[in-house]
Amino acid sequence: MFESIVLWLAAVFTAPFFSAVILKVKAFFGGKKGPPLLINYDTLIKLFKKGSVYSVSTTPVFKMGPVVSCAAALAALLFLPLAGHMPVISFNGDVIFVLYLLGLGRFFTIAAAMDTASPFEGMGAAREAFFPIICEAAMFMILIFFYRLTGELSFAAYFSGTGTLGLWQIAGPSLLFIVIAFFIILVTETSRVPVDDPATHLELTMIHEVMVLDHSGPDFALIELGSFCKLFFYAAILSGLILPFETGIPGAGLLVFIAGLVIVYLVVGIIESTIARYRMDKVPQFVLTSFALAFFATIITLELIQ
Amino acid sequence: MSHFFAAISLILAGGLVSLVSARHHLFSRAGATLLISAGCVWGLAAAVTTLMGSVTHSVSFQYLNLFFLAFEMDTLSAFFLAVIFLVCLMAAVYSFHYTQDAAAPVKTAVTAFFFSILVVSMALVVTAANIITFMLSWEIMSLSSFFLVIHDYRKKENRYAGYLYFVFSHVGAMFIFAGFGIFYKYTGSFGFTDVHTLTEGAKILAFVLFFIGFGSKAGVFPFHVWLPHAHPAAPSHISAVMSGVMIKTGIYGILRIYSLLELPAPAFGYLVVAAGVVSGILGVVYALGQTDIKRLLAYSSVENIGIILIGMGLGMVGVASRNPVMAVLGFSGALFHVLNHALFKSLLFMGAGMVVHQTGTRSMDALGGLLKSMKITGFAFIIGSLAICGLPPFNGFAGEFVVYLGGFQGIALDKIPFAVSVAAIIGLAVIGGLALACFTRVLGIVFQGEPRTEAARNRTESGTTMLWAMGGLGTACVIIGVFPGWFFNLSLSAVSALNLGYARIPLAPFAQITGHITLGAFVIVVLVLGMAGLRSWFYRAKPISRSGTWGCGFTRPTPKMQYTGASYAFEMVRFFRPAAPIEEQHPPVAGRFPASTRYESRVHDIAERCMAPGVIRPVQFLFDRLRWIQHGDIHLYIGYILLAIVLLLFFI
Repeated sequence: MFESIVLWLAAVFTAPFFSAVILKVKAFFGGKKGPPLLINYDTLIKLFKKGSVYSVSTTPVFKMGPVVSCAAALAALLFLPLAGHMPVISFNGDVIFVLYLLGLGRFFTIAAAMDTASPFEGMGAAREAFFPIICEAAMFMILIFFYRLTGELSFAAYFSGTGTLGLWQIAGPSLLFIVIAFFIILVTETSRVPVDDPATHLELTMIHEVMVLDHSGPDFALIELGSFCKLFFYAAILSGLILPFETGIPGAGLLVFIAGLVIVYLVVGIIESTIARYRMDKVPQFVLTSFALAFFATIITLELIQ
Repeated sequence: MSHFFAAISLILAGGLVSLVSARHHLFSRAGATLLISAGCVWGLAAAVTTLMGSVTHSVSFQYLNLFFLAFEMDTLSAFFLAVIFLVCLMAAVYSFHYTQDAAAPVKTAVTAFFFSILVVSMALVVTAANIITFMLSWEIMSLSSFFLVIHDYRKKENRYAGYLYFVFSHVGAMFIFAGFGIFYKYTGSFGFTDVHTLTEGAKILAFVLFFIGFGSKAGVFPFHVWLPHAHPAAPSHISAVMSGVMIKTGIYGILRIYSLLELPAPAFGYLVVAAGVVSGILGVVYALGQTDIKRLLAYSSVENIGIILIGMGLGMVGVASRNPVMAVLGFSGALFHVLNHALFKSLLFMGAGMVVHQTGTRSMDALGGLLKSMKITGFAFIIGSLAICGLPPFNGFAGEFVVYLGGFQGIALDKIPFAVSVAAIIGLAVIGGLALACFTRVLGIVFQGEPRTEAARNRTESGTTMLWAMGGLGTACVIIGVFPGWFFNLSLSAVSALNLGYARIPLAPFAQITGHITLGAFVIVVLVLGMAGLRSWFYRAKPISRSGTWGCGFTRPTPKMQYTGASYAFEMVRFFRPAAPIEEQHPPVAGRFPASTRYESRVHDIAERCMAPGVIRPVQFLFDRLRWIQHGDIHLYIGYILLAIVLLLFFI
């Protein structure tokens, strides 16, 4: 339990660091030196020191947005096994709970965006409401896949101890599909290229960044922290999936986990540097791909298990 | 049972008092509210006692040596009774200030009278224990609600809504009659007791007939066409009752018939899940396309009926595949959602009622920014929205969570039950996502941002009892969301009346589920409070200023530039365009000095569209041809009667 809480705190505090890896990769591809790896901490501290300007159109919901979305991301990490250790909290069905918890965060992000009466933020909010619908369907398809293999409905059963290794042994090839499907979900849910571009501000093409346009100061810092943690959450799942090794040597598991995380963040960075953002009306097809992959994976396992 | 009858007499008395004293407006309203609420509280107490004691009461009265009026209250009835009385209590409280219209005291009194009849007839429907009692109560329920729908009969659209409702409720009743006809043919009695002796074919036919009949009351796609017309037409507290509980009598009917038939055919489960997934997804897609706030809420009822059907269907699949855990989870999840939906939907309708009452418009795109001046309504509406999206820690999540767990039980099965469970789970996930989009849209367009027209500017809320009712329902949503244990046990107790053959349901594994929901809710609450504390700590002694929304360099923004409801939903509805065709009218801009142009879009309901050429027009054509029979000559009519009697004599 104590170990789990320490890991959770470590996850929250290192999430900004890992996000900076992406910036570094992008700078490398752009032939630049790039910001230091601790840049995100600088940003957060700077924002926490500032005051805020609130739009006259806003209501208290605007202030609740960052609080709830950040709390939801932090709470989601509580349920996730990190480095193969048991999570802080785990129960039958916690996967569904976490998915809806992230939904709660999204609800308040959207509500805060709609609060400003800005047409841009409304545009972002509409997209933020649309794409995750397909993502959620894909997530549940993946859950069906996992349930089929393990008969359990909790993150702890899939990603702690030797659970993931067991999954690879039963359904290796189809688990590859799941990895790709998960990656598409990561890209969509955390507003990354090719679905969204975290680097653009003020274009009609973005989703998450335009929704938080009017937030400033500590409010904005909470949003940033929340989105770092959300990215960490998905990256940790992927890391558990791609490097599921349980060496038995103390500390080695953690190193393998970190290596997995770095790989995921590197891939995100590489994709972000080499691919352009899709046209908005093509995005649903891209996201549906993840559903299709998860669906095929499940169909394949039907044969394997019998 | 005596408590039950005392309660409904009190409710009826409330309606009568209001009607008799119609000229004394205040007295009439106060009398109705007090008596109806008192009756509802009494009935609620009786129902909950029955539910907790798991006992069955029955009573029957003989009428003129002809037939019996038989009533029975088992735990299933008691569960629905509890929901009915709870929501009607809140609606009665709400109505006191809502119907404050000194200009039309008689109309108000008549509404109160029919409201009391509606409450009583709903209570009688769920306790009826033979065919005659059931149909009698069912018809009274349909008729009394018909009069409530045409409350504002001067508007043409309301008369149309009433007409549509009348037709649908009676066509539905015909199907139910046909089903009962099969029962009577095989058992030779009006009672429900021998129904399980029917042949298998007759049972399947009867179930399908009942499913269509009850489905049209419940608002199952494609028999929901009346619902989006009728609910907005009625006064808001009536909409709350109709949408929150009246359509649930259809659900009750399906459940009751299923338990009477005692035929665990898997096909029933597949049928119900399929209907549930289709109603759920299309209901919320159409809701997304609406511009009228009450119509939107009505469509969202179709969606929630879908969720309830998914739960019930999973339960039936569980029974058919001998998986007791899945059966109990499915049925109890569905029942739990019946309770939850009744609470948050009536809360939302009351919130919408307040908005319509104060602004005088139901068009969402004319509103905006109401949260600033209508704080209690606004926050109650936010709670209702969070609950209806099924987000933790609110009650909607608790119900959907149980249904999900039931669905996942089916994943372990094979072949068709597996496929049905996958459809149910993915369906629920898609419904959840769409509901979130739908209700962030309502919230964002109606309550947030800037007022779009004068109608929405500086509107305050009024009416203490209206606020009390909303506050009560909002609190209930939160309490059930955080501590679902006791309420979930009530729905488990109701499931035990379904003749599933599981004598006593072991409560331990199910108690765990609710415990987990509570644990999760606490995690959320603690973290949110922690972050809020952190936030205010960071903000102490900081410069905070207010300024306009950043217009991206644009200096003259107007409220008209805000995102509208139509633009918010456009992409999502377009994704479902085969089922939700969008009709756009946009005269193109032409010439060097173009005249002003306009844009109009409408989302069509495919069921309504297909029914017009496919069903309604042929029927109208047929009846047009038969019009000559109705001559208007009284002698001819007497002749018809004579002829009919003579013809009948040959058959006897």
